[in-house]
This record gives sequence, structure tokens and C-alpha cells, in this order.
Amino acid sequence: MKQVSIFRFVVSMAIALLMVVTALPAQAFAATPYEGYTINNLGEDVHSINGYIYESSIDGYNLPSGPFNAPEDVFLADDGTIYVVDTGNSRVVQLNANHEVVNIIGDEEGDGKLNEPKGVFVKQDGTIYVADTKNQRIAIYDKDGKFIKQFGKPENPLLGATFSYSPSKLLVDKRNYMFVVSDGNTQGLIQIDPNGQFKGFYGANHVGFSWSRLFVKLVATDEQKAKLSVVKPLEFSNAVQDAEGFIYTTTLGTETNQLKRLSPVGVDTLNIGERRYGGRFDAGPFEVPSFLDLAVDKDGVITALDLQSSKVYQYDKLGNFLFVFGGLGEQNGLFVTPSSLAQSSDGTVYVVDKGRNRIDLFRTTPFADLVHDASKLFVDGRYKEAEGMWNEVLHLNGNFELAYLAIGKSLYKAESYKEAMHYFELARSRTDYSNAFKEYRKEYIREHFAWICLAIITIIILLRYIIPFLWRRLPALWSSRNTARTERIKGGVPHDRNV
Amino acid sequence: MIATFRMMRQVLVHPIDFYHDIQEQGRIKWGQALFVVAFAYLARMIAILITGYAFEKREPHEISFLHEFIWLVVPWLTWTVSNWGVSAILEGEGKFKEVFVGSAFALVPYAIFIVPITLLTNVLALDESSIYSFLINFTIYWVGWLLLLKVKIIHDFELVKMAWITVLSIIGILIMWFIGILMFGLMNQLINFVVDMIKELNFRR
Repeated sequence: MKQVSIFRFVVSMAIALLMVVTALPAQAFAATPYEGYTINNLGEDVHSINGYIYESSIDGYNLPSGPFNAPEDVFLADDGTIYVVDTGNSRVVQLNANHEVVNIIGDEEGDGKLNEPKGVFVKQDGTIYVADTKNQRIAIYDKDGKFIKQFGKPENPLLGATFSYSPSKLLVDKRNYMFVVSDGNTQGLIQIDPNGQFKGFYGANHVGFSWSRLFVKLVATDEQKAKLSVVKPLEFSNAVQDAEGFIYTTTLGTETNQLKRLSPVGVDTLNIGERRYGGRFDAGPFEVPSFLDLAVDKDGVITALDLQSSKVYQYDKLGNFLFVFGGLGEQNGLFVTPSSLAQSSDGTVYVVDKGRNRIDLFRTTPFADLVHDASKLFVDGRYKEAEGMWNEVLHLNGNFELAYLAIGKSLYKAESYKEAMHYFELARSRTDYSNAFKEYRKEYIREHFAWICLAIITIIILLRYIIPFLWRRLPALWSSRNTARTERIKGGVPHDRNV
Repeated sequence: MIATFRMMRQVLVHPIDFYHDIQEQGRIKWGQALFVVAFAYLARMIAILITGYAFEKREPHEISFLHEFIWLVVPWLTWTVSNWGVSAILEGEGKFKEVFVGSAFALVPYAIFIVPITLLTNVLALDESSIYSFLINFTIYWVGWLLLLKVKIIHDFELVKMAWITVLSIIGILIMWFIGILMFGLMNQLINFVVDMIKELNFRR
């Protein structure tokens, strides 16, 4: 009796356990609505593990401030404070790290009243700079949200008569200079000093040389030229500053070099040559990515938002592709009309979805944490320390080509050139392969010097003496055999031709 | 066979004599031309196989032995036909057989030197690639020069006329390719049409 009950207990437990085990995956892993991929050296996208997963949203419905309306920007302070530019409600909502309302800025009547602001920047001391777009000004508030002062439209002959001022994004550098993105302005970032004086344009895009334009210029008459549309440099859509004070920009309307890191004199230092950011076919063929916003973390990892595909792309400090997430759609994790993004100090990415009036939070996966740690060491050139991590990355995902490159570089530095060559081949990096090969060749020649010398001498002897000898003798041998045969046929008369 | 190798040696060392000699009666055979082209194709395939990793810009799956064959044989054949046709109209003396064999033998430098040159890619690094590309270009210019020499000697042309005939031949090649692609497309349509018709009839039976 007892045995039977124990047996029954065991069996029922096993069945229950089996049921739990089979039921568990369906409950525990909600599938992400997007597929992670990485880009290999041939420019193809190959499957990869997702780096970011949707976590939660802030939509304002359960906040005393009420729901957001078409938010355009978000700013994350180092202490975790969140500033949401609630454009449709013409205000900036300040939330603390627990997503509770701390303050609402610019909604009271008076000088500080905002009118459809589109951008915000908060300094270390808490001073709030708002790009008050419809009022054509920059409004400044202290850390308690009290209006201090404003800077109106900058005046300068350089700006030209037709200049229309519509500040949408801004940042403030260590000298308190403001760098303002004005919608539709193609001359670069507008630099304004702490006194509100215009100090020139910064980092403008340039119109490159074009053969077709030169041809048109040579051929067209003046009237035809007047009818042609004017070629203007491309427009910036956003600008952010990293911890070191470098300014990063996003450019609209181009397929290459949409993301830039500008040096203090305004020269791009991120891209050497042409580089394509964004997905090639994510938005469909013949669609140009239009990057709206980007965030740069303390290690230089760049996270950028593309409106065309509604995806977020992440690149390391050197511009190597790391991760992609998001997309167009209604599910959690996809966006309707994304407008801006920011990254908190713990790595969570905040994406503002203007179309759905909310802010989506994405957390990193363990795989992404691993890649980030490894890539941080990699971009600093500490290849050896990163090698173990990259091996682990490959263990999780053999498609991650950057890992092969990184391990190859580590091996190269450790002077194991043959293995480095193998890894560079896997990473499809021909230049690195060739460099490793050159070192390997040097090593090989040094080790086998005697044999190589011997081989060269043999070849010289072969070419100089033996082959010419055979060349001279072979036809003679051939013809003597032929004559021998004729002799036999002709009945043993030797050399009958001479007879 | 031995004669073919002798001729290959002669075209490398004394190309002018070679093109004079092949005009002699009964000196050349059609099979020799086919042999040389097959030899060039074989050399090309071997060269692709032994190219060092850093120098091979294509992925293995992008290389097709059929494509390589077409890209060797079709230009040679169309050049032969076009050059012979144009020359025949414009008082060239060459016979089709001579053009056919002469053009094939112009490929000899490529067929012979491509493999040893490609062996170099296994000992050169990318920044020394200028040596490799110089040698390859040299071989290709050699082939081109032999082709021009062939036009001049076989048809017994002046220098200017030779250049003119060459230009016309190239235009002829382009026309042939255009018509070929056109015919290919039309034939495809026709075959599809017939197949569809049969299917339809079968369906309504």
C-alpha cells in the first residue's frame, strides 16, 4: 500500500514536472517582435542574438501631469532625472529616476511659457535650456524650473536676409556656448555665446564634387541655370555631446556618413572615407535612412535612431556595427513614429515614440553586456584582455564577425601570426590578413633560411643547365628513335636517306 | 601535338614569323585552336584555385566555372567572326581558319604565364600587389598586341587600316552581343509561350 502510494507520488510528480517544463518556455520567453542581426564584411546582414529587449514604457497616464502629447525629445541627467519635451502640451516634464513627476516646466503663463518646444538640454548644475521652437527662442530655467532668461533670434549679417530661425535641438558645452540645430538650416550648427551673440556656424556639411554638376555648369545657359534647383549642403537633424566634449551629429538625406563625430574645428573624425549607417533594406530598397537622434555613452558607443525603418542602430566607437532593434509596428518593442532617443548611465535606451505618445525603455541582454565590455577593451587597443570575452561572444554567436577580427588582432599582437591569419580570414579582413601574412613570411624565412637558399640554388641550376641540356638532347633522342623505327620498317637499311 | 607546342613557342618568341608561317597551306588545324583555348581556360581555372586569400576579391560561391568559360570563349569566338567578317568586306586577305587559329594563339602568353604569376600571390602581401598587377597587365597587353599583330599580318594591312579594322571589329562584337542577348530574351519568351500554351490546352482538355 505504502509502496503503491510512493510510486503514484513519484509518477504524478514526474508528470507535473514534465508539464511545467513543457509549459515554461511559452510563459517565460515572450518573443521579441524584431530579429537581431549583425552586418558582415560583405555588407550582408546575418542573424545574431538581440542586444536590446523591450522593458517598459512611460506614457504619463498614471502621472499627475497627465498623458504626453507628441513628445519630441528626452534628456537623461547623470543622476537619473528624465526631462521629457512634451511638445503637444508645450511643456517639459521632469521625472525622477523612479518615473515620478518632480516638476513641470514652461506651462505657466508669463515669460517662461513655452510654445511647442522640440529640444532640451540640462547642464551638470541643473540649469535647463529649452529650444522653444514656435517662440523662436532658447528659454533658460534654473534647476527648480524658474524662468531665468531667453535668447531670441541671433542677429548677424552672416546669417543672411532669408534666415528663418526655428531652433529644434541644442546642446551647451563646457564654456556655456550653445550649439543650436535650426530646422531647415543647411549651414551647420549655430554657435551662440553665453551672452546670446551669434559666434558663427560649426561643422557644416559640404557639397561634394560631382561630374554631372560640372557638366551641367559647362553646358547650360544662364536662363537654364536659373531654373535649376540650388544645390544645398545637407541638413543636420540633431547634435549631442559625449563625455569628452566631442559633438556628434546626425545628417538627413544621405546614404553615407549620416553619423559624424566633429573635432573642435568641425571636421568629421568618425568616418574615414564613405561609410553606410543604417540598414540597407530595412526600410525597403531605394529608401535613404533618416537618422533623427543619437546617443553616445561614456565608452563612445553610438546609438542612433532612424525614422525611415523606425529602428535603432548601435555602433562602437570606431563605427563598427553592433546591434539593431525596434522597427515599425504596434507591438511593444516596435514604434509608430519614433522621434528621439537617449541612453541612461546604466545602458538602458529610452526611445521617444511621438506617434504613440510614450517613451519605451529597452534594456541590454547579457549578450549585449558581454559585447559592450569586450568592445570597450577592443577600441582602446587592449586586444589581449578582450580575447577571452570575444571567445565567449563567438561561443554564443558564431556569426559575430567583429569577434574574429578582435581575436585576430589579439593574436597578431601576441605574435602568433599563423593563427591570426586564420582569424582574419574568418573575419574577411584582407588587409589585416595581409599584414599578418607579411610577419608570418618574415618568421618563416628566418626559420627555414638554409632550405630556401638550397631551393633557390637548385632552381637556378635546373634552369641554367639541366633544362637547356634536355631541350637540346630530347629532340635528338626523339629523332634517333624515329630513325630506328624507319630502319626496322625499311628492312634494316641504316640511314637510308644518305644511302 | 608536338607541332602545336612548337607553334606556341614560336608565337611567344617570334610572333611576326609565326603569323607569316600560319598562312602557309596545310600548316594549321582547327583542333590546334581549340586546344589552345582549352589550355587557356584550364590555366585560368588553376589560377583561380591557387590565388592567395588576400588577392582573391570574390567569395568562392561567386565564382562559376561556366561563367569563366563563357567569358573566355564568347569574346574569342565573337572577335574571330567579327574580325573575319569586317576584314573580308574591307579587302583583308585572311581566311576564316587563319583568323580562328591566329586569335586562339594570341591567348598563349596568358595561358602560359598566368599560373606562375598567380603563384606569386601566395608569397606577396597586399602592399606589394603592384608587382602582381604589373605582371598581369603586362601579359594582357601582350595578348592584345598579338591580336593586333594578327590583324595586321594575316590580312596584310597598313598600320592605320589595322587600327580602323580593330575599331570596326569591336563595334561588330558589341552588335553581335546585343543581338545575342536580344535573341536569348525573345527565345525565352517564345519557349515560355509555347509551354504555357501546352499547359493551357492540357488543362482544358
